[in-house]
Amino acid sequence: MNSFTGEITAIEQEESLSLISLRVGETPFTTIVIDTPDTAPYLRVGNTVQVLFKESEVLIGKDINNNSISLQNKIACTIKAIEQGKLLSKLELESNIGPVVSIITTNAVEQLQLKVANVVMAMVKTNEIMLAE
Amino acid sequence: MNWAPLILTFELALVTTIILLLISVPLAYWLAYSKLKIKPFIEAIVSMPLVLPPTVLGFYLLLAFSPSYFLGAFLQKWLHVKLVFSFAGLVVASVIYSLPFMVQPVQAGLRALPDSLREASYILGKSKVETLFRVLLPNIKGSVLTGVVLAFAHTIGEFGVVLMIGGSIPGRTRVASIAIYDEVESMNYSLANTYSLILFAVTFCILLSVYLINGGYVNRFWK
Amino acid sequence: MIRINLEKQLHSSGGEMQLQVALQIKQGEFVTIYGESGAGKTSILRMLAGLLQPERGLVEVNGKKWLDTANGTNLKPQQRKLGYVFQDYALFPNMTVRENLLFALEKHQPKDSVNEVVELMELNDMQHRYPATLSGGQRQRVALGRALVQKPEFLLLDEPLSALDESMRARLQDYILKVHQTFNLTTILVSHDVSEILRMSERMFVLKEGKIVQVGAPDAIFSDDSISGKFRLVGTITKIQQNGVVYIISVLAGVNLIKVVATAEEAATMATGDKVMVVSKAFNPLIKKL
Repeated sequence: MNSFTGEITAIEQEESLSLISLRVGETPFTTIVIDTPDTAPYLRVGNTVQVLFKESEVLIGKDINNNSISLQNKIACTIKAIEQGKLLSKLELESNIGPVVSIITTNAVEQLQLKVANVVMAMVKTNEIMLAE
Repeated sequence: MNWAPLILTFELALVTTIILLLISVPLAYWLAYSKLKIKPFIEAIVSMPLVLPPTVLGFYLLLAFSPSYFLGAFLQKWLHVKLVFSFAGLVVASVIYSLPFMVQPVQAGLRALPDSLREASYILGKSKVETLFRVLLPNIKGSVLTGVVLAFAHTIGEFGVVLMIGGSIPGRTRVASIAIYDEVESMNYSLANTYSLILFAVTFCILLSVYLINGGYVNRFWK
Repeated sequence: MIRINLEKQLHSSGGEMQLQVALQIKQGEFVTIYGESGAGKTSILRMLAGLLQPERGLVEVNGKKWLDTANGTNLKPQQRKLGYVFQDYALFPNMTVRENLLFALEKHQPKDSVNEVVELMELNDMQHRYPATLSGGQRQRVALGRALVQKPEFLLLDEPLSALDESMRARLQDYILKVHQTFNLTTILVSHDVSEILRMSERMFVLKEGKIVQVGAPDAIFSDDSISGKFRLVGTITKIQQNGVVYIISVLAGVNLIKVVATAEEAATMATGDKVMVVSKAFNPLIKKL
């Protein structure tokens, strides 16, 4: 599990759903949760929360232009290590906000010709990010 | 052949065993469950006859029962009971001498039962006495039987204590083990042999029956 | 209403421990005392039943004082009207099932209540058998039935299902819930089985080293509300298996076996038998009508 500490910058609500904007260091994140400030008191602008997402939900892109993709959560990273399995591979990435781990298929690693020291974009879908107090 | 010593032996064993059963169950119950600090002392005293030479026990009992000393004088004066060289004296001595053989199996049997059986009975509103007779004793039948048989057989086999306390008065205190000794002393080997053989056979049968019952042979046979 | 206040120095395998608890239980409630072994759960039940004496304490059941060390009140176990189911069932081996139940009758209590229990616990077929010939689940039913013969208002269950397998447990949980309702009982269960507690009890007390550290509804306590994932399951790890760069962790949640992918670092912190919570966002699972 990737885990970062972030600060809530905005909350947009529609009935029981909330779209939460956060900042981890200088990197913006957004997530959608089935909770509102009424049901989860920790959802307050300015509050510090844990931002959690699973390694297998971290997509990797090369040469990503910020406006060419729908994913809202993008972290610029450098590949520090690649552990290659038969089907899956684990990438250890370094970023401004700290280490990020991604698990993608080995096919994808080969197709993108990922190498240690490559600069990549790690991305997570809005609905894959969980918050915790 | 004179049957009196044999009859006297079995009479003594029977009376002793019955009295022991009455004494040992409450005593073993107390020893099994009491948490009093005095318990180890009582346990040690109860077990003394296991290790003491019978003559030591017999000697002190002889002194205690003797009309020249306090206890003997008291009994003779107020209760008109004479314990030296009498059947009653033999019974008292035998009860003391065989006490551990009855108490220890019963105590061990009680200790081996899970505490929850007693506690469940108390919670169901049953008194300690009712619990003892309806729950505890029925579940340690084997241990009680072992105690009864060991005490009985051990009393049959007594010699030293009986000799010290009872002497060898024919028909009153001359039990089989003493008679055997006397017959050997007077070179009457064939009678000594008869007595011995009977004692040998009877005690063997008694012990065998205990092991058969506790080993489950009897149950297997009758099912 | 049951008011309990107990203080006792306990000598456990882990050394000395001061048990100090205060609980209030409403009439008709089903509560659980949850905690690790050695936390003092069973000691609390034993003190309620009068099998263990606290140094200081008060036990008041529906206005009647069973124990009050302040004025020396201390009812014997025989005088406390409660049902108690022991972890080892404590059935009397020398009596048949029916004799065990009859033994529980109070003086002058008609035998009808034994028949009622036989009916309710479905013991008819095994009435004349001895406990040694019964399976664990059957013994547990008899033990539960025996505790109910006197129609107590208050039932104490000391890890009654810990020795049974999963499917047998589920059936016995149904029996316990049924008697809890039928007899309008106030029930205290001692358990460390999360799924059992979630299923059965309305309120739980978390006991840690002799102190109550948390009180509340089991689902609130177990399903940590400080995390936003809505798809949560609590279960026990049954298998951890390496699979290339990831690990597959099998978790038994209730009667469902689920599998979760984890990294090596996560797997290293876990062992078979550990209690875990599996969380996902409500956006991920597919739902399909059966």
